[in-house]
Amino acid sequence: MDPVERLYLDALMEDPEVPARSLRPQLLAGARARRRPAAPTAAWAEPYAGRVAAMDALLASAVDDDWSRIIVEGWTLQELVAHLAAKDGLLAASVGAPVLGPPIGAVDSASRTNDVQAYERARSPEQTRRDWRAQADALCRHLADLPPATPATVDGLEAPVNDHILARCLETWVHTSDAAETAEIRLPDPIAQHIHPTADLCARLLPFTMLFGGVDGAGRTLHLTLTGAGGGEWRIALGVADAAPGEPDARITADVKQFCFLLGGRGDPAEFPAELEGDLSLARDVLATAPSLSGP
Amino acid sequence: MPVEAPYDDRLLHQRVVGGDESALGEVYDRLSSLIFGLALRVTRDRVIAEDITQEVFLVFWERPLAYDPERGTLRAWLATIAHRRAVDHVRAEERRRVSALGPRLFEREPVRLEDTVLAADEAQRVRQAVTSLPEGLREAVELAYFGGRTYRQVGEELGVPEGTAKSRIRLALRRLADALAEEEV
Repeated sequence: MDPVERLYLDALMEDPEVPARSLRPQLLAGARARRRPAAPTAAWAEPYAGRVAAMDALLASAVDDDWSRIIVEGWTLQELVAHLAAKDGLLAASVGAPVLGPPIGAVDSASRTNDVQAYERARSPEQTRRDWRAQADALCRHLADLPPATPATVDGLEAPVNDHILARCLETWVHTSDAAETAEIRLPDPIAQHIHPTADLCARLLPFTMLFGGVDGAGRTLHLTLTGAGGGEWRIALGVADAAPGEPDARITADVKQFCFLLGGRGDPAEFPAELEGDLSLARDVLATAPSLSGP
Repeated sequence: MPVEAPYDDRLLHQRVVGGDESALGEVYDRLSSLIFGLALRVTRDRVIAEDITQEVFLVFWERPLAYDPERGTLRAWLATIAHRRAVDHVRAEERRRVSALGPRLFEREPVRLEDTVLAADEAQRVRQAVTSLPEGLREAVELAYFGGRTYRQVGEELGVPEGTAKSRIRLALRRLADALAEEEV
């Protein structure tokens, strides 16, 4: 904004006035009707609820053309939203939450994605947005009363539900970022309190991404430093069966958001900006295999 | 006078994008009287100004990604929306009055200001109003707005305490608002 405009607006604001009645209660009621706030849920599921609300904010700005634009995996924005709803529905099914959309047939991500996308193609993009949001909110409401350690299985992967919901958080975040990039909209980061548990999940997944990527890290230890809001320090035993981490064989320092996105399949491991120390080939193996669990 | 949004703005924006209602309440508490004051200045109608104020915060909640902290403060962004709506309202009122008086001699389409707040002739009036300020006030405003100085730096350059610099700028802003309001009649 140019200086004259700033000067003009500041001049107009130089006489703050208080409205005759407080508009606050009315404002919040009106706001809820325009865009739903993050669904109330358990504290450990709040990072996911926040990313759902952010995706919804992005979709609020989508106009006709935006919905048919290809975002990622050859999917349009509408198909991408259907894909998110499909995977959210699989987690919902695993923990006894309501499953919306077409009846569940095959329970692998790819088939369920196909089923939900086929179902949603017959509906308007705005309806798809509402269906996805309804599924996400139903899942959030159900998790409010669930112990975080409740076992859940998605795509044959068994883990506590609080880890699964953080994986949903990461995927929703990554796809919102994909869509924002296509629309040339700057997406602000989640708050630090939401990034940290997501980064923690990513750090704990490293032994599995290595194994899945064909590298056995048994008996080796990594010290991971993630910088930026929501970052931290982790000492990770790189073998899936290792009892406890030892002295670090290698150290990696990287930006917390970039690290989460690397595990989410965004960014080239070979080009990944990080400081490596100690056993460099081990550190490079960790980075090279980091995306191995990411899929569509 | 930072142009890029401060940390607080960024955090509130992050929270609003993440669907945190209490963040919207905080934005409202912090900025509603400024926005209401602006809307009142332009429309001179308390009821309309209340409606506009409400709408500004609703629009921010509904489409928070339209605001980009890299490009300015939240205060300036909300002020821009409020100004646009207030001006639209005034113009619509004028058209309504004029058409009630009978056929118009010429049609004037309302200008859609996409990225700018001010039309060129309005910007010219603001510059004019600045030049007619008393010298002490004018210098302070020019340093702060056109020279990008902080209050402290303005004080140093004018050889007065920071508080004095600040009150000169605020006095200048009030005078500008009055001058611009008079001309709009």
